[in-house]
Amino acid sequence: MQPQPAHRSALTARPALPVSGVNGKPPIVVEELSKTYKVADREAGLGAAVKSFFKRKFKEVHAVQRVSFQIDQGEIVGFLGPNGAGKTTTLKMLSGLLYPTSGRASVLGYTPWERRAGYLRSMTLVMGQRNRLAWDVPAADSFLLNKAIYRLSDADYKRSFQELDDLLELGPIIRKPVRNLSLGERMKCELAASLLHRPSVLFLDEPTIGLDVGAQARIRAFLKEYNRRNSATVILTSHYMADVVALCERVIIIHHGMLRYDGGLNELSRRIAPYKIISVHLGGCDDCVLDAYGTVLPGEDETGKKRLQVPADQVPAITARLLAEQPVQDLTIEEPPIEDVIERAFNERAFNE
Amino acid sequence: MFEIFRRLWALNWAEQWQYRANLLMYLLFWLVSPVVYLAVWTTVAQTQGNVNGLTANDFAAYYMVLLVVDVLTSQITIHVLAPEIQNGNLSNRLLLPAHPVLTQVLVNNIAFKALNLIALVPIWLVLYLLFRPALNLNALYLLLAVPALIVAFGILFLLGSALALVAFWTTRVWALWNFYSAVFMLFAGHFVPLALLPPVLQTIARLLPFPYTLYFPIQLILGKLGPQDIALNFGMQSVWLALAWVIFRLVWRAGVRQFSAVGA
Repeated sequence: MQPQPAHRSALTARPALPVSGVNGKPPIVVEELSKTYKVADREAGLGAAVKSFFKRKFKEVHAVQRVSFQIDQGEIVGFLGPNGAGKTTTLKMLSGLLYPTSGRASVLGYTPWERRAGYLRSMTLVMGQRNRLAWDVPAADSFLLNKAIYRLSDADYKRSFQELDDLLELGPIIRKPVRNLSLGERMKCELAASLLHRPSVLFLDEPTIGLDVGAQARIRAFLKEYNRRNSATVILTSHYMADVVALCERVIIIHHGMLRYDGGLNELSRRIAPYKIISVHLGGCDDCVLDAYGTVLPGEDETGKKRLQVPADQVPAITARLLAEQPVQDLTIEEPPIEDVIERAFNERAFNE
Repeated sequence: MFEIFRRLWALNWAEQWQYRANLLMYLLFWLVSPVVYLAVWTTVAQTQGNVNGLTANDFAAYYMVLLVVDVLTSQITIHVLAPEIQNGNLSNRLLLPAHPVLTQVLVNNIAFKALNLIALVPIWLVLYLLFRPALNLNALYLLLAVPALIVAFGILFLLGSALALVAFWTTRVWALWNFYSAVFMLFAGHFVPLALLPPVLQTIARLLPFPYTLYFPIQLILGKLGPQDIALNFGMQSVWLALAWVIFRLVWRAGVRQFSAVGA
């Protein structure tokens, strides 16, 4: 788990971003977007196989249900939800790969699924598990193909490439056949290939999946810098909370295809997990019972520090009592770990209050 | 647009060059049937003197030209496109502001063709020395054959692509492809020069696009057609090219819609 950076609370005050987009509209506007798949439904076994050959039964799967949100220019929004929540389906609709069953979306003034060339030239979809680069030739060749496909001038291409090279340290890896690259190197090349045309809207589906911690951190730093330089609007899905904490001030949580939460990450933890962790180090009292103060969390570190989960509104009172009644040597108050907050958020009952 | 084709060409050439052994195997597999027909028909014609007026030399000349024409006009779209549709990889290409079939798949076909042609040269020379057909080539006919071959490839590429796009709806597209190939072989003049088919089948053939993509260019190159026949065949080629374009566009539009409906 990543320690919570102390300055994170400062991020709640969102910087005033220019809401330019098209005609003053935010670049991404989604209204009541829904997608229902029809999935062939049959039981296992030969009999069922024969039966389904003649009469196929279909089950309706509501992948996305009446989801609405708006995203302003320059925002990086984390799109969270457990597997199968409808995140990828939503991103595919917004990037024009999927027709919605109902609802509207406008991205940069375009309707994504019309797949106008003008739209395709100003957005990108990066899927961590998909390969956009030609496998047997160096990535540099794929870059040049993208230059032609996106009709970039030599000057634009050079500028764009230099910036990406500078941020991602592509160096010699673009001269090796893609199949000989490590996963991290390939992901760098994938990102570069997807961003050569300097899209102003980025849909990133698990961009750091399968990467080691160092590579994840580099990709993250790159995305932040790209966003800063180009004022790009980004929707990002990730199962790594470190990605979300580092990049997104705002998160959208969907579960079973429905929008559950849309707002600041800090506010989320206040709402979902209204508790704090008090860590205390007691002097000369190894078996002191602290149950009276709050829920004692399992496990203590080698210094004998004990961790207590305490409702947020009672923190001052309990701290005072602890200090008065116990031989406290050291005491710290921490935010609940973000993984815990998200896990609670995925729990359906979390928002039913 | 030209830049896209140039880059695609460089990429495809480099990629397919890596799989040249694979390509050679494909070529040898493809060679089996025309070479067998070449051997069988020349032998039959030799023992009988002729078959319905066609001599052993006529057969040898026909199949030697067929080898070249077939490489020039055939297409491998299904091998490229159907797997991409089925494994969902087509999504990546749909995100690009360029038509995947009319750029990537087209250039892939042409690069494959170019490599095949190079590999065919030595094989063709060996067969030529074995059968020594009198070809009687004529510069005018060869010149006329250029547009005929290009249009023939256009027709087969568009029809083959439309057929490969059926993969949008079913995973059994290969069965359909095998059926299409068999019909093509029969009515294009692969198994036997079309003049030897029963009259009923010849009439059917004339209503299909296939004779205009193989039999016509061969007969044109061999100088077997009069001015009127040549004009008529070019006319039919144009009609089929237009039809194939319409069919391709319709199937593409419906297919992408289907793809986007079920989950690209």
